[in-house]
Amino acid sequence: MNRLQTRLGKLELQNPVTVASGTFGLEYGEFFDLNRLGAYVTKTITLKPKIGNPPPRLYETEAGLLNSIGLQNPGVEEFIKLNLPELKEVLSIPIIVSFSGGTIEEFTTILSKLERTDGIAGYEVNISCPNVEKEGIAFGVDALVVYELIRRLRSFTNKELIVKLTPNVTDIVSIANAAEEGGADSMALINTVQGMAIDPLSGKSRVKMGVCGYSGPAIKPIALANVFKVAQRVKLPILAMGGICTWQDAMEFFYAGASAIAVGTYNFVNPKACVDLIDGLDNYLSEKGATLQDIIGKVSF
Amino acid sequence: MFNRIIAINSIEQLNESYYVISVDIGESVKEIRPGQFFELKKPESCYPMLRKPISVYDIQSTKVSFMIKKLGKATEQFAVMKAGDKLDIIGPLGNGFSITEGNKAIIVSGGIGYPPLYYLKTQLEQAGKTIYWLHGGQTSIDIFPADEIWTDDGSAGNKGFVTEGLTNYIKNQKPDVIYACGPKAMLKACHQIAERNSVPLFVSLEEYMACGIGVCYGCAVKVRTDNSIGVTYKTVCKDGPVFEAKDIVWE
Repeated sequence: MNRLQTRLGKLELQNPVTVASGTFGLEYGEFFDLNRLGAYVTKTITLKPKIGNPPPRLYETEAGLLNSIGLQNPGVEEFIKLNLPELKEVLSIPIIVSFSGGTIEEFTTILSKLERTDGIAGYEVNISCPNVEKEGIAFGVDALVVYELIRRLRSFTNKELIVKLTPNVTDIVSIANAAEEGGADSMALINTVQGMAIDPLSGKSRVKMGVCGYSGPAIKPIALANVFKVAQRVKLPILAMGGICTWQDAMEFFYAGASAIAVGTYNFVNPKACVDLIDGLDNYLSEKGATLQDIIGKVSF
Repeated sequence: MFNRIIAINSIEQLNESYYVISVDIGESVKEIRPGQFFELKKPESCYPMLRKPISVYDIQSTKVSFMIKKLGKATEQFAVMKAGDKLDIIGPLGNGFSITEGNKAIIVSGGIGYPPLYYLKTQLEQAGKTIYWLHGGQTSIDIFPADEIWTDDGSAGNKGFVTEGLTNYIKNQKPDVIYACGPKAMLKACHQIAERNSVPLFVSLEEYMACGIGVCYGCAVKVRTDNSIGVTYKTVCKDGPVFEAKDIVWE
């Protein structure tokens, strides 16, 4: 019996452990067999290549990491020509392509291009990147826009459509509801929380762009609260992320209602974090005589 | 490339700011090229959580050593470690220096830019090259053995910037190649001098890093390219840390 098996909308996963978009690459194949993951999520791609934001792009604070990469990526054409074949060559697990756009038309154009390829199991619609002006977060904060975007994207694909939500909103549940009504299969939450750091001596912002995205252990309780709130009110399965480092962290998110989880920042700390987490989870559930499905949503008070 | 938690073989304090840590990585030393680096972390450290990129300073048999300057929390954590304590290391990382044709090389370093060039120097010597090394620092604390020394305050060697020394030296003896590592302003000045004298210059850059292996795009450097806008960002960790200076957009 595979006690770690889980389902994320249309996707059957051998285990619930994936990677957060933008924190992972085939390079990690140097450290472990990537096909041990439940699924693989790509770095976000956009219609046109993006060179990203000026450096410094990173700064580590007391309990997390600030970043402002700015969705640097080669664009969808190059992704299809060069990156996707490499991914397909190496991976037998579901490949989930993360993408973002500046207008609904850009989103639909990317999706229709991706739909003409094979080897993609699903899509993560990134409407929550805090580090680009037009793309991403401009969409993720308005329920009506989210509904309209997902409705349009739904008409282009039957594959898994995951909507990635930002915590930087007044009411994440209303955004999640809009994604559900629009026809999404599942939700990924949370993207980074807005953050900033300033050198106390020089007064200079640590990250060139100033306000940027904050990830890592500091945001775990925030992510957990968002996952719990959304799980209470929305039926769609949840792919949870935000500060997850260990199998114990992952267990918290399963209890809160997540069907799968992603490791992000912690990949940089421990390149084998994902497999350590899978092994830890498997050992624990085995000892407990439970399956993952027994845990999901079973938080008690 | 490997990730290992490994006991420190030795640690030597050079002065109040600089120290050298060495670890025995066995046969893996053979993978290392000059200019490459490792990402170091004290295991179990929650803050700093991220690894720190540290260049290879020297290799003696199967031991690789890192010369480190205390610049922040992580490098202060490493500084008080002892032989036998464990370090979590990933490497070797990055592209490293190529040893080019031609016989005469100049090396220019500033402060903690010294270590990657030291290992390069040993390799250049093995390849039979003639080397002239100019090293500069703020004060005598930042000074290590070289052919010509410069300090900002005159506390060791000549008073002034090391790039002044480069300008003077190159007037009389044009090299085939220059290798440099140090603060951005020094590298930019080296670039201008190299360009004026039509000498190829290879620089090793430093940038705040997270993954160290080319996935997070955190350590960006602006370079010239042939796309529609003429520039793009490359990663210091994977595309670099060594770049040919003429490819970089010096801002």
